[in-house]
Amino acid sequence: MRYAQRVRRAPGRPLRLATAAVVMAAALAACGGGDGDGGGGGGGTEAAGPKAPATIPELTDDPINLSFVWFEWPPAQALEDFANAEYTKERPNVTIEVNTVPNANWHDAMFTQFAARQTDFDIAILDSQHIGEAVTNGNILDITDFVNENIDVDAYDPYLLAAYGQYPQAETGQRDENASLYGLPLLGDTWTMIYRKDLIGDEPPETWDEMISTAQKCQDENPGVSGLAFHQANGSDAAAVTYNTVNGVYGGNLWDSEEKKIEGVINDEAGQKAMDVLVNQMKPLTAKGSGNWFIDETNAAVAQGKACIAFQWIAAAGGLLDPAQSTLGKTQDEILDKLGFATLPTQDSDVVPLGGMGMHISAYASEEDQAEALNFMKWFEQEDIQKKWAAAGGVPARTDAIQSPEFLEAGPFNQVYADSVARMRDMWNVPEYAKLIDIENTNVNAALNGAKDPEQALNDIAAEQQKVLDSAGGGGL
Amino acid sequence: MAISIDEAVPAPAQAAEDAPAGRRRGGTARRVIEVVLLVALAVAMLFPVLWMLETSIKENRDVYAVPAKFFNFDFTTIHYKDVFVGRDGGRSDLSGSFLNSVIVAGASTILATVLGVPAAWAYSRFTLKAKKDQLFFILSTRFMPPVVVVIPIFLMYRELGLIDSKLGLVLIYAAFNVPFTIWMMKGFVDEVPAEYEDAAMLDGYTRLQAFRKFTLPLLVPGIAATAVFALIFSWNEFVFAIFLTSSQEVRTAPPAIAGLIGGTTVDWGLVAASAVVFALPVLVFAFLVRKHLVAGVTLGAVRR
Amino acid sequence: MTTTTDRPVQEASQTPPAPGGSPRLSDRGLAVAFISPALLLLLGMSVFPLLWALYLSFTDYSATRDVPANFIGLRNYTDILTSDQVRIRALTTLIYVVGAVTLQTVLGFAIAYLISRRTKGRGALTTLFLVPMMLSPVVVGLFWKFMLDAQFGVINSMLGSLGFGQVEWLTRQRTALFSLIVVDTWQWTPFIMLIALAGLTAVPNYLYEAASIDRASEWFRFRHITLPMVWPLLLIAVMFRAIEAFRLFDLVYILTSGGPGVSTETLSFHVYKVAFLGFNTGTASAYGILMVLVVIVLAQFYLRYLNKLKEG
Repeated sequence: MRYAQRVRRAPGRPLRLATAAVVMAAALAACGGGDGDGGGGGGGTEAAGPKAPATIPELTDDPINLSFVWFEWPPAQALEDFANAEYTKERPNVTIEVNTVPNANWHDAMFTQFAARQTDFDIAILDSQHIGEAVTNGNILDITDFVNENIDVDAYDPYLLAAYGQYPQAETGQRDENASLYGLPLLGDTWTMIYRKDLIGDEPPETWDEMISTAQKCQDENPGVSGLAFHQANGSDAAAVTYNTVNGVYGGNLWDSEEKKIEGVINDEAGQKAMDVLVNQMKPLTAKGSGNWFIDETNAAVAQGKACIAFQWIAAAGGLLDPAQSTLGKTQDEILDKLGFATLPTQDSDVVPLGGMGMHISAYASEEDQAEALNFMKWFEQEDIQKKWAAAGGVPARTDAIQSPEFLEAGPFNQVYADSVARMRDMWNVPEYAKLIDIENTNVNAALNGAKDPEQALNDIAAEQQKVLDSAGGGGL
Repeated sequence: MAISIDEAVPAPAQAAEDAPAGRRRGGTARRVIEVVLLVALAVAMLFPVLWMLETSIKENRDVYAVPAKFFNFDFTTIHYKDVFVGRDGGRSDLSGSFLNSVIVAGASTILATVLGVPAAWAYSRFTLKAKKDQLFFILSTRFMPPVVVVIPIFLMYRELGLIDSKLGLVLIYAAFNVPFTIWMMKGFVDEVPAEYEDAAMLDGYTRLQAFRKFTLPLLVPGIAATAVFALIFSWNEFVFAIFLTSSQEVRTAPPAIAGLIGGTTVDWGLVAASAVVFALPVLVFAFLVRKHLVAGVTLGAVRR
Repeated sequence: MTTTTDRPVQEASQTPPAPGGSPRLSDRGLAVAFISPALLLLLGMSVFPLLWALYLSFTDYSATRDVPANFIGLRNYTDILTSDQVRIRALTTLIYVVGAVTLQTVLGFAIAYLISRRTKGRGALTTLFLVPMMLSPVVVGLFWKFMLDAQFGVINSMLGSLGFGQVEWLTRQRTALFSLIVVDTWQWTPFIMLIALAGLTAVPNYLYEAASIDRASEWFRFRHITLPMVWPLLLIAVMFRAIEAFRLFDLVYILTSGGPGVSTETLSFHVYKVAFLGFNTGTASAYGILMVLVVIVLAQFYLRYLNKLKEG
């Protein structure tokens, strides 16, 4: 149905473009065409999207562009370079293009295009939590059959496979064999703790409480250096991930997915304890004015030697080793003498945040491009390619690649990732994700910056998120 | 008549000279205070611009220096090079966006001028039904909040296939510039006596010919000024650009520059350099139309 | 001051028909031919989208979901008008508009007055003062985000050398809104200044001379000669700025993205979130329509006053 529609619509476009100059008549006609003229595939019900074929259709030999959309950060450049160097060995007629948008604009940029039912990318690199929204709206291909036919699913930690592709979401930390898959892992990620070995010693703190007292001590002993640096901004998912992490460490839960309950879950005793620790113990150890910090500011604080302990996404930590941007040393070795990377401390629980993204094929890409995208994904998920990706700076998802020396030796923080895989926890990937994250971001950010009482903020998060879940799909502010 | 900056001068100073000597001493003190105040305000207004200029030629390690380095920093032009030259030595993404801005701003200005000038002439010359209402309606469309307009425009463009296209941006910018063009140009047309055209018509020209041969040439300076203001608006516009475009091929400079922050590192030197490069054409243009600034910034509504 | 009355028009229509044709008819045709393309563009790009938004505002339509719109009457409107969230944003917007416009009016008028009293270098001085107004809000937002950074920003650096502590310009509830007002004021004070200067120029010298002979006080001259002459223009400038400030989006987006929490979220910024984060297109449309109504009321005052000014 989708294909048929595209064929019908394609020749109309230049004509419409021409008409657009006169606009009024054309606009009216288009309106008559109806708002519901979605095109997209599927009936628009839960978990319905156009299906990709089980086997890869015949590929073209003509020059072809395979384009991705991601946000602006080093892995995007790494992916483009890696794919153009390696994939073209197999498919010389293909050029890979990784388009980037600012991180703050990442969700909007992808979903406004999805909403336009016309995308300038073939593969969307969605955050795991975006999947629900994209699947429900029929924006990405269902690749369950393709995966069963072409991908060695046993080679993965099941949760990783589930996190970046499965919908409905895998809550239990296990993959649900019956659920559909909509994507494959591109880049794994989690938080690492970065600590100053020269200031607090070689051994990282093991519990969260110990981490806080170490940071306090370090700050007291080193004027001009803050105890902590972490994400606090109200954009993207910055402040929310920070709270979620502390929430996990103190044994809290974000929601009860079976019952669709947030109220009373996120703001239970453990949740309140976590908020209290974050606002009253951790925030006082951060630099003044750090209340709008995200990835780049946290990196800058570490590189400028202004933080004892910092928390950062592993995939964004690469720049810390660059002597050109750092005041910690003139060579990478000098920097590594001062910086240590460790898995997150534990407290009542050992949960760490799941980051990273998967590859998802746009339902609005041309058939040719979709075929090429499937072929790329099959190619990318092979063991030796995953190892090469690891060596090129990527974070693989296959267990054999994660455990390989290529990966573990490629960066000082890669061991951290390998050790964290079993501890990872994701957020809700329901269609209302964007609203949920905004509620949490703004409230945690308000609590961190003294604009709201922390307990009140957490209760507001619970109440407002619950309201969004309850009114699923319909209106509201 | 439109005023130039140099004319914007009342001269109460002469009156003060007649004052008795005692008051004149007070006058001197007062004059000193006034000058000091004016200088202080000028410094406050210009400091951010100077600081950006300075940041754009600083080595990155000096950019982050605390306390800030005002004079003894290391000079570099690397940031300006980064604006135009990409990592791989080719053209940078940013320079592509600058080019897009030139195309979009240029085309929308031309469209707005072509549509707006004849309409302005017609509104000035002919008796029309509910003319005042029409003119006010036209101006009021310019006051709508862009964030609000962008929602239905987005839906409309989706149906027309104009999302993420330069044509889409050109059309919406032209639509925002046409009201301005009509109002501003109507003022200029009003200043050209209609008798010129009447005389020409008595000589056997049609009204259209009279407009083209006699009125239009007189309007050229006004058209140029109006077009420059339309150009400045399109050049600086951000809201439509960020919501209606997404790809590198279409993205104009404002969203591209905004995108320089929010990665894993922020290169403030590059941000400063691109801001300077982006602002330069506007400042040059603004200087060119300085005689018509008052009319220009009030959508042509206030002209003295 | 220009009179934009319809005098030339009336004269034109009184002209006897030129030989060889019926100019009245062709005039009419010409007017239609000249005006309609511009009007069509406006109808297509401004009016039609607005009507579409009006229609959507009565539905639960979402631009991303593949479900047809359902008519839900006035629910979107009642939701918005009774929402605490919207009330908070409205208050923020109000504080921002009043604060920014007041500050820039006072400063702008002061600068214009000071400039008007100088005899030398006025042209150059005015040109310099106008620079901020010409810059893109994006550039202005980035400039200031950089300068207001609590850790390495130049403002705190200067305050530091004067012995003050670091100020969290963008991350405290009060300071963040204040910073927004300051930045807007920095950019738009020149606008008020420019228009006030135009008003000050229009005060005829003989009025001052007469006052001088009467030994009128400085204050008397200002209060009874200068101000009444400048006031109408100043009022227009103020209304213009109020409309613009009410629509503010870009600066918030870049400088604070609404933070801390939601304390600098303006109405425009909130509409954006409803429209492009939640994709509640119907609700966002109703929200937008309400904002347009506010703007139209403001604009009506603006236009009416303008009209009076032109006729007076």
